[in-house]
Amino acid sequence: MGVESLVAILVIMPFAAALLAFGVKDARVIKPLVISSMLVLMVASVMLLMRVVEAGPIALSPGHLWDNLILVLDFALLAYFLYVGFTSKHPLILALAGIQAVMLPVLKFFILPSGLKVQPVLYIDLLSVIMTLVISIIGGLIIIYALDYMRDHEAHLKLDHTRQHVFFFFMVAFLGAMNGLVFANSLLWLFFFWEVTTLCSFHLIRHDLNAEAIGNALRALWMNLLGGAALVLGMILLWQAGETLSIQDLTGFGTVGAALLLPLALFCFTGFTKAAQVPFQSWLLGAMVAPTPVSALLHSSTMVKAGVYLVLRLAPAYEGTQLSVAIAVFGAFVFMVTSIVAISQHNAKRVLAYSTISNLGLIVCCAGINSDLAIAAAIALIVFHAISKGVLFLVVGTIEQRIESRDIEDMEGLVAKLPLLSGIAMLGMITMLFVPFGVLFGKWASIQAAAVPFSAWFPLVVGFLAVGSATTMVYWTKWIGRMISLVSFERGAVVEPKSFLSYSTILLMVAGAVVLSVFVAPLVNILITPAESTMGYAKAFETAGWHLRSAFGLFTPWPLFIAVALALLLPALLVRVKSDQYREAYLCGGNVPGAEVPSFYSLADQSVKIRTGSAYWESLFGERSLTNWINGAAVILLLVLFVGVFV
Amino acid sequence: MSSGELVLPLVAFLLAPVAGGLLCGIDRRLTARMQGRIGPPILQPFYDFFKLWGKDTLVTTRENLVWAWGYLLLTMVAVFMFFFQQDLLIIFFVLAFAGACLIFGAFSVRSPYSHLGANREILQMLAYEPILLLAAVAIFLKTGTFMITGVFEFGEPLLPYLPLAFVAVLVALGIKMRKSPFDIAASEHAHQEIVRGVYTEYSGRHLALIKLTHWFEIVLILGFIALFWAQPLWIGVVLALGMFVLELLIDNISARLRWAWMLGVSWVVGVGFIMANMVLIYLAGGAIRV
Repeated sequence: MGVESLVAILVIMPFAAALLAFGVKDARVIKPLVISSMLVLMVASVMLLMRVVEAGPIALSPGHLWDNLILVLDFALLAYFLYVGFTSKHPLILALAGIQAVMLPVLKFFILPSGLKVQPVLYIDLLSVIMTLVISIIGGLIIIYALDYMRDHEAHLKLDHTRQHVFFFFMVAFLGAMNGLVFANSLLWLFFFWEVTTLCSFHLIRHDLNAEAIGNALRALWMNLLGGAALVLGMILLWQAGETLSIQDLTGFGTVGAALLLPLALFCFTGFTKAAQVPFQSWLLGAMVAPTPVSALLHSSTMVKAGVYLVLRLAPAYEGTQLSVAIAVFGAFVFMVTSIVAISQHNAKRVLAYSTISNLGLIVCCAGINSDLAIAAAIALIVFHAISKGVLFLVVGTIEQRIESRDIEDMEGLVAKLPLLSGIAMLGMITMLFVPFGVLFGKWASIQAAAVPFSAWFPLVVGFLAVGSATTMVYWTKWIGRMISLVSFERGAVVEPKSFLSYSTILLMVAGAVVLSVFVAPLVNILITPAESTMGYAKAFETAGWHLRSAFGLFTPWPLFIAVALALLLPALLVRVKSDQYREAYLCGGNVPGAEVPSFYSLADQSVKIRTGSAYWESLFGERSLTNWINGAAVILLLVLFVGVFV
Repeated sequence: MSSGELVLPLVAFLLAPVAGGLLCGIDRRLTARMQGRIGPPILQPFYDFFKLWGKDTLVTTRENLVWAWGYLLLTMVAVFMFFFQQDLLIIFFVLAFAGACLIFGAFSVRSPYSHLGANREILQMLAYEPILLLAAVAIFLKTGTFMITGVFEFGEPLLPYLPLAFVAVLVALGIKMRKSPFDIAASEHAHQEIVRGVYTEYSGRHLALIKLTHWFEIVLILGFIALFWAQPLWIGVVLALGMFVLELLIDNISARLRWAWMLGVSWVVGVGFIMANMVLIYLAGGAIRV
């Protein structure tokens, strides 16, 4: 198959399938249509990988007609955003869309020479391919999962008319926009796809159309439009300083001149808004009002990943500058503070959301550290975080449908009620949290990269990373602790209704998270190291014997896997308990015999039920006490970032 | 790898629990003397271990026992990697997984006392984990590698360069030894408000396992302290033993304190001191250059 057709399948086909689904509205058609188009998308992404591995990066330049189409659609999008701002009486949206609607024509018709063609329009190297694999495979699985989920979701809401066609229209189109975004070399094209992801996320967040959903969608819209405005402004400044709008021109020749740093800082700012970095975290926290598959998609393979992709993509251009250092400090700060706030949350989805922002902060930090090791860590984190976070959102969504709550306190003893789901949830959390799994590999590499004195500020960065690693452990460990809390030999009969598509996609993804962690050395060899080298970075790991040896240390995945498996699975299989050994938990000798819920004799021999719960330490780590402070600190760091450009 | 390089670490690994048990015996004897008592024989921890091992185990949930095994085996993995001079960060990550197993064990039975202990144990990990990671980074700044082999190849003692980091590690030592003022997750004596915290639901053989794990942990953290003076190593060992005795002294003159205080001390004295130490090394131009 030709390269052009592959790219067309990955970018245009999702839009076509989305339109078709929107048109027919019939669930019986949507299901096979969505499944088959997702399978095609996955296959195409793998074929593109083989193509690029074999023959190197692909440069494509579709004809002028396409440029004009993109421009027309740009204006249509901006007009729509203005319309949304107008009808919802939201001055910020009006202003931000208005600024773009003024700046874009100024750029196009007054600043750029007429008939300018950015060459090449699309440039697909291994970094783009890694992104498209994440988008197409993980995103595809999430959308397939959504088919059963939305049926149950609508049954639960008791809707008169199904709105699934609207839902799947935006979900499927989202993947096409994301693929276009990571393929684009022309910033004009990147801008278009960027705005499409803003549009899709806006509609997906407000999908349930209740007041909260609509309000949160509007907040997501204005924050992302702010990023879009920074992107257009950056393009204007970039053209005036450097006469280019091609990313390859920016990144292909080492560090850029001082005049180009301001547009780069603006582009990175754009990335921060999309990646929901502090102080823009509220849009992602609010996005959880949407049906779960939306959260899964936004958090794992799309949307926020576009933000870190842009920051990472531009890394070679700002290597060794103060801007780079400021990005590292900012990312490390976000990593730490959001994982601290996560400790105080007992809404499961909020914990997941803070964890996402935190991990994205770590990726941003790695891009800022900007060494061979750090860039490798950033790419590895993008992949491993996407897959583990996808699993966690899907499994939490399914648990929520079963127990009708997303409060972690209500998940006490869940392993007895929903053993399969809670087992997957625990495994998903463990892949986020412990050696020898992939996310920890990324964390290990990033701490090592931060330990090298890349700037006088490195102690701050590595200090943030160390504290953030510890706080990360706290919120996951507490959550796992809730789910495994059991009353002595309490084993109820379990009815766990299993819908095929939901369970098979979740199982596939969690298996993928484990398998990919085992095979991290070949992954580094085949994808990450070559992707780095096309970006201009040197090899960061020797992989003899499938160990990963960096310049400073050694990570041995498979011996660790064997050790951990033996240490946990052997006891799980071998420990035997005879029924006469069981006793009730210690309650100071006052246990009430035969009580249904463990109880003890209190004053005047009254029977009192025991209560256990997790600790959230809200007075210290709560949003109420921290959010304003961390937002303020983040604003200061961003100001420093922009001021640093001029120093 | 020559046979000597293989045999020595193996022997050290096998002797680790013996050393840990002896240290606990010395601890009990010294503590008794400080309190004006005579104290048990040095070998008492071993007698206790075998007595517990032979007792019937009472069980609240099976998972409670499974996690105790995980705690022991993963700690052994960390100690094994330590003696084979692996990557310090990975060793601490494995140790964190082991520590989490103890927490999961305590959470896996619905018992108010063991849950209280587990929540506090989480806070203890939150307190010492950044110190250990950053101490590894501080060592890296001088040796240029996270491998323990690098400490021995460095050729000079590290302590003169890392005095502040060393003080920070002592805080982590106190927490890991579960000594006052940091014994907030499992009190030494069972007659207090948290009973035995994380250990409450363990008895018999599995309590023995947990004691054994604790011996391994003590050897690991003291071994880490010895790395601060690895040329010649015997000074490092004496240094580590000296710090062990110092912790016993502190234990006997202080009371168990609140968790917020512990977190404050470990983040300010611990993290703050190490970061200051890094800045000093950097300003003195003594940090590795890449």
